[in-house]
Amino acid sequence: MRIVVGVKWVPNTQAVRIDPETGTLIRKGVPSIVNPHDLPAVEAALRLRERVGGEVIVVSMAPPPAVKGLELVLGMGADRAVLVTDRVFAGADTWATSYVLSRAIQKISAEIGRVDLVLFGHETIDSSTSHVQAQVASWLDWPYVYYVSSIEPLGDNAVRVERELEEYEEEYVVELPAVVSIAIKAMKPRPVSLQSKLRAKLERRIITWTNADLKLDPRCVGLKGSPTVVAKTVDMPEVPRKKEVYRPRDPKDAARWIIRKMVEDEKLREVMKGIVGDEL
Amino acid sequence: MAKGGGLFNLSKFDVVVVGAGPSGSTAAYLLAKAGFKVLLLERGRGAGSKLLWGGKAYAEPLRKVWPELDKEAPIHRWVTKERISIVWGERALTLEYKLGRKVAFTSPLPELAGWMAKKAESAGALLLDEVPVDEIVVKEGRAVGVRSGNDFVSADVVIDAEGANRILLEKLGLADRPSPYDMALGVKEVLSLDPRLIEERFGLERDEGLSWLILGDITAGIPGGGFVYTMRETIGIGLVLNIGHAAVAAEKGILRDHVSRLVEGLRTHPYFRNYWREADVIEYGGRMTIEGGLRFVPKRLYSNGLLVVGDAAGMLVNTGYTIRGVDTAVTSARLAAEAIIEARDRGGFTEENLRAYEEKVRESYIYRDLVEHSGIAEIFDDPFFFSKVPSLATRAASKLFEADYGEPSLLEAIKRSAEEEEISLLRLMLKVGRVVRRI
Ligand SMILES: Cc1cc2nc3c(=O)[nH]c(=O)nc-3n(C[C@H](O)[C@H](O)[C@H](O)COP(=O)(O)OP(=O)(O)OC[C@H]3O[C@@H](n4cnc5c(N)ncnc54)[C@H](O)[C@@H]3O)c2cc1C
Ligand SMILES: Cc1cc2nc3c(=O)[nH]c(=O)nc-3n(C[C@H](O)[C@H](O)[C@H](O)COP(=O)(O)OP(=O)(O)OC[C@H]3O[C@@H](n4cnc5c(N)ncnc54)[C@H](O)[C@@H]3O)c2cc1C
Repeated sequence: MRIVVGVKWVPNTQAVRIDPETGTLIRKGVPSIVNPHDLPAVEAALRLRERVGGEVIVVSMAPPPAVKGLELVLGMGADRAVLVTDRVFAGADTWATSYVLSRAIQKISAEIGRVDLVLFGHETIDSSTSHVQAQVASWLDWPYVYYVSSIEPLGDNAVRVERELEEYEEEYVVELPAVVSIAIKAMKPRPVSLQSKLRAKLERRIITWTNADLKLDPRCVGLKGSPTVVAKTVDMPEVPRKKEVYRPRDPKDAARWIIRKMVEDEKLREVMKGIVGDEL
Repeated sequence: MAKGGGLFNLSKFDVVVVGAGPSGSTAAYLLAKAGFKVLLLERGRGAGSKLLWGGKAYAEPLRKVWPELDKEAPIHRWVTKERISIVWGERALTLEYKLGRKVAFTSPLPELAGWMAKKAESAGALLLDEVPVDEIVVKEGRAVGVRSGNDFVSADVVIDAEGANRILLEKLGLADRPSPYDMALGVKEVLSLDPRLIEERFGLERDEGLSWLILGDITAGIPGGGFVYTMRETIGIGLVLNIGHAAVAAEKGILRDHVSRLVEGLRTHPYFRNYWREADVIEYGGRMTIEGGLRFVPKRLYSNGLLVVGDAAGMLVNTGYTIRGVDTAVTSARLAAEAIIEARDRGGFTEENLRAYEEKVRESYIYRDLVEHSGIAEIFDDPFFFSKVPSLATRAASKLFEADYGEPSLLEAIKRSAEEEEISLLRLMLKVGRVVRRI
């Protein structure tokens, strides 16, 4: 089975700050990481390969520093990686991103070997639209199942997938080729292994494709190919903390203190009324 | 997998170095330069990412490895001012020394260690990050490689550069679990401030820096001290606290807050806070360091196919209020690399041939300093030095500077304060004399 996993190189949003003037993310100087939601998808692909053989190829549309992230995923045991990178791809919204990714997947099918399954993470930590997977599936005209918690091979041409939703579970048999996105809690990604990492470093297993390779119409990619318009961004100002600490010996005193604080605070009182009613 | 990376075989190296801190990267750099195939393994993401320190490195021992240091290294400021303060409540007594030469510089440790690792890589060492080593593998009394997860790589020599928390060495039985009284916890905040304000407030020229050590009740009576280092556009402030004594203080209820609150106490202390007025706290962190001096040095720094360098080897001089671990880490790694090169030329990495490393260390300044400061551990066992002495010093100063209409002489002032503190002058003189001789 040849499995492609889409992996996004994202700024570590825990370290990102908002520019108070423009309302946009300050990405400068923020270290990037592999989108944590994508690692369970890599894990799912590696487990499938362990059972039925084949190849795991990671693909990412990203600027060149993403090589660090691809090395990590290769270090987990993926067989090769394709970095799709070009200035004309910059500024893409989900539509343009999915277009480029789907064309890269078709190129993998044509030149490396037929792709049977495409796995994605559930969402990203920097935009979290969950649009990319569905859009890739439509560009490829393949079936798409999302929020998948387990995936089992079923012969050569199908997989059995389970979706764990809030109130019920579902099971599908999906014919291949297909696109599947994996829920973040579905499985624990394995750590990097020394041998895989050594191989990733020593053997050139990261292929780079630019638009000279993909030959896409520049009007359909990057900023130019992105119909999404950001109408407005709202910066939620940080609420200054009161920095009060109360340390009574008796926990009952602590409870009394905290309730008094909540009642004294106008905004909190409203919230509390909503919960306990007028008894307050 | 038949195709290797050409130069490298996938599972066999001449040297495997565990840990890409200052000592590991130095050893990897020198050995790669001497033609060894070196694998440098680091568990953090990127070399240096897990490191935290105060902030001052002595340059000369580093120049011995990298003559290009002054031009290439990420040097933030050359230390031109050394300050020591003793604080007690709102009182503070400060001593300042102005240096002329380029003796020591400040730099964030992740940056400095990152530079050293880059040097090792460009000399040909292979650095793999995010790879934790689980075990140094010993077969028939000889270190033969390392294991990470299920993977093994073999090496003619393994260098243990894992730092002060030497789990691998303990597993091998080459070091005992240290007493908590031989370890200290460093807690630190990084404050960001316009470089011009840093220079104005501390009275510095553009590339000049200040190193400031603080003794007194900012540690809540726990043996240890505080530090302030100016970087290019940040100021690092923090405390180093003896872990054994901190645990006792917590038990007795003297230390009620999280230790980070003590750093907050330093940041907001009336004597200090105006130096970093309006600065933002952009980072905070903690890391363990060594306080045991010679007691922390393992019985042997070498065995068949194995050398121990840097903090893991106890190559850190802690004078009680200042920590010197980077130049000593670099020096011990340099000596280890020399010994390995000599052993190769003598035909093998046997115990006998590697013994030269320990001899080199014994002849070096590190050992001399370790011996000289070995009495420090004794001071740490005695909180007297950290509570009575600062209070006495600041009291004595108050007698000198706050009008008392009696114009006491210095000795008189100390004596009078000592009486108020109920300390016998003799006991005091004995203690201070012993400390001064050792520091
Ligand atoms: C309103 C809005 C405006 C935006 N404007 C801009 C802009 O002007 N400039 C700009 O640069 N970005 C912009 N973005 C961000 C950009 O649209 C997305 O980051 C990107 O298209 C991926 O979408 P996502 O992060 O929501 O991924 P999701 O759809 O949440 O990702 C789902 C999965 O798809 C896969 N995936 C996603 N992206 C990639 C990738 N690049 N390579 C491989 N696999 C991938 C991963 O497996 C991931 O888990 C904007 C986003 C929004 C919501
Ligand atoms: C609060 C504080 C302040 C200090 N201030 C100063 C100062 O001002 N000046 C000074 O000279 N020194 C100072 N030091 C000491 C100095 O930081 C250390 O002595 C120095 O970093 C030691 O270098 P090292 O390479 O031996 O070990 P470390 O710097 O600890 O490096 C060890 C490396 O090994 C990695 N590692 C550990 N175990 C494994 C494993 N199993 N597998 C893979 N990798 C592993 C770690 O992630 C780390 O990167 C200070 C220390 C502290 C804690």
